[in-house]
Amino acid sequence: MAVPRILDSLRRAATEAGGALLGRLQHVRLPGVGQSSSADDPETAARRWRAVTVLRSPEQIGTGADLPAPLAALGDRVEVRVTPAPGDRGAELAARYRDLPSDDDLRALRSALREAKQLIEVGEVLRVDPAPHGTRKATPQGAVLEGATARAGGEGVL
Amino acid sequence: MRAATWTGVNEVSVETVPDPTILNDHDVILKVSRTTTCGSDLHLLGGYIPFMRAGDVLGHEFMGEVVEVGRGVRDRRIGDRVVVNSFIACGKCWYCTQELYSLCDNGNPNPGITEALWGQSPGGCFGYSHAMGGWAGSHAEYIRVPYADVGAFVVPEGVSDERALFASDAVSTGWMGADLAGTKPGDVVAVWGAGGVGQMAARAAMLLGAERVYVIDRLPERLAQVREHVGAEAIDYSRTDVLAELREVTGGRGPDVCIEAVGMEAHSLGVQGAYDQVKQQLRLQTDRPSAVREAILACRKGGSVFVLGVYAQMVDKFPLGALMNKGLTVRGAQVHGQRYMPRILDHMARGELTTEHLATHVMPLEDAARGYRVFKDKADGCVRSVFLPNG
Ligand SMILES: NC(=O)c1ccc[n+]([C@@H]2O[C@H](COP(=O)([O-])OP(=O)(O)OC[C@H]3O[C@@H](n4cnc5c(N)ncnc54)[C@H](O)[C@@H]3O)[C@@H](O)[C@H]2O)c1
Ligand SMILES: [Zn+2]
Ligand SMILES: [Zn+2]
Repeated sequence: MAVPRILDSLRRAATEAGGALLGRLQHVRLPGVGQSSSADDPETAARRWRAVTVLRSPEQIGTGADLPAPLAALGDRVEVRVTPAPGDRGAELAARYRDLPSDDDLRALRSALREAKQLIEVGEVLRVDPAPHGTRKATPQGAVLEGATARAGGEGVL
Repeated sequence: MRAATWTGVNEVSVETVPDPTILNDHDVILKVSRTTTCGSDLHLLGGYIPFMRAGDVLGHEFMGEVVEVGRGVRDRRIGDRVVVNSFIACGKCWYCTQELYSLCDNGNPNPGITEALWGQSPGGCFGYSHAMGGWAGSHAEYIRVPYADVGAFVVPEGVSDERALFASDAVSTGWMGADLAGTKPGDVVAVWGAGGVGQMAARAAMLLGAERVYVIDRLPERLAQVREHVGAEAIDYSRTDVLAELREVTGGRGPDVCIEAVGMEAHSLGVQGAYDQVKQQLRLQTDRPSAVREAILACRKGGSVFVLGVYAQMVDKFPLGALMNKGLTVRGAQVHGQRYMPRILDHMARGELTTEHLATHVMPLEDAARGYRVFKDKADGCVRSVFLPNG
């Protein structure tokens, strides 16, 4: 009884670690690894505008309650900015929190921006789960990766 | 349904897994008739791309029959015989409108991993790990194909399944390399690697007007295919100095276009080989780049090098000085197949592009583990193992 429970909690810890690892990778600063070039203090980093470019004119993006649902759902907590992208690239859709966001808030914002872009460009949000798969052996590596993928829609450099 | 899955480093099993269902309006479900191994799978199998989970369905080069269509699908119909590109692209984003389909913004629902690795995320690929989207692969009786109007192409009547299959990945990748490297009539082109991808890059270069094409490898049966089926010249790097040979046959200039179709497990002789192997195993470099190095050194001044082989992260001893001082253009990409598949299928229909010889080992899906073993070991003259999931 006790052993499976310990394994289970180890696995949960590994899953958690996978998600956290991915969040951390974007702040690593080794040559050629990681995506951070200078040290923003955590508050500056959290408050930056996060932006996606959408292949539509700025007028077609909407404002306030007319924004795509995932962004509109964040309501007044975020400010949204839409500007024309240079060349033929459409509109830059950017958003940031008015208050200091938590890591979970930031994940929610990244997902919302990505989903908003997909809704505007292709009319639906692409789903991958449930995907057919065979037996998943319960290994620590598997759990780490599961944690990383579960969060990957809300992580990244956005 | 039955499917071939990755179950651990260099372990493939065939298991019963749930059937796929339509999840998005632009999906179709395909009954897979043929699906093949690709050199890219070897990098996954060997654990060089550590984003596989036990139970993931493998396979990204395939064709079949449409058996179910989503509400938003406009052009594909039930009963269509289609070949599908290995990369998943929406057809609507800026990258897709530039025909850079493998860079699609909307093909990878898990962009966090690749953004963290590379700064931006490319598109998604079937059966190619959770970094590339976590999409189930094609070594199965059925597969769900998102954005089917963009990625699934109807095979013309005169083209057999045996031939059409490779339009999915090997031919479209090779064609892209030859095209985006800027191959022009009169060029001399050298291709590293005589696998399915390298052979098709060579054939594409010929169809694009290259005057002479050389393919470099060491496996005699593949070099024989290059001469016999592709019509290019073969160079055996285990018996000759490749750089000297290429200088000799190009009047001292070097090839105008150099296409690398080997990838991160490149084999090399002597000290260089040992050095790269040790550094890769110690994780001091993630990839072994010997063919890319050689392509850069061989290329003529002002020439063009295209990296088709898959690399994951970092390499060591990269000849940046040669690249800069010789004024080279270096480019790489995952396959923008949707851009080339209609043209490729036309060439196939006219008999100018044949691929049947690549399928050296054809077998039921149940034998997938054996198929991967011979393909990985390059045993028994294997160039590609092809599985028939529905008999
Ligand atoms: N860019 C893309 O979208 C894309 C698509 C498909 C495949 N690929 C990649 O292309 C590469 C080739 O694929 P494939 O299916 O032909 O693989 P393959 O394994 O069948 O062929 C690779 C060939 O390279 C040869 N080789 C090894 N070291 C060499 C060297 N130093 N010099 C010359 N030849 C050498 C091997 O003997 C082998 O014949 C792989 O890295 C694969 O991942 C990329
Ligand atoms: Zn491939
Ligand atoms: Zn796209």
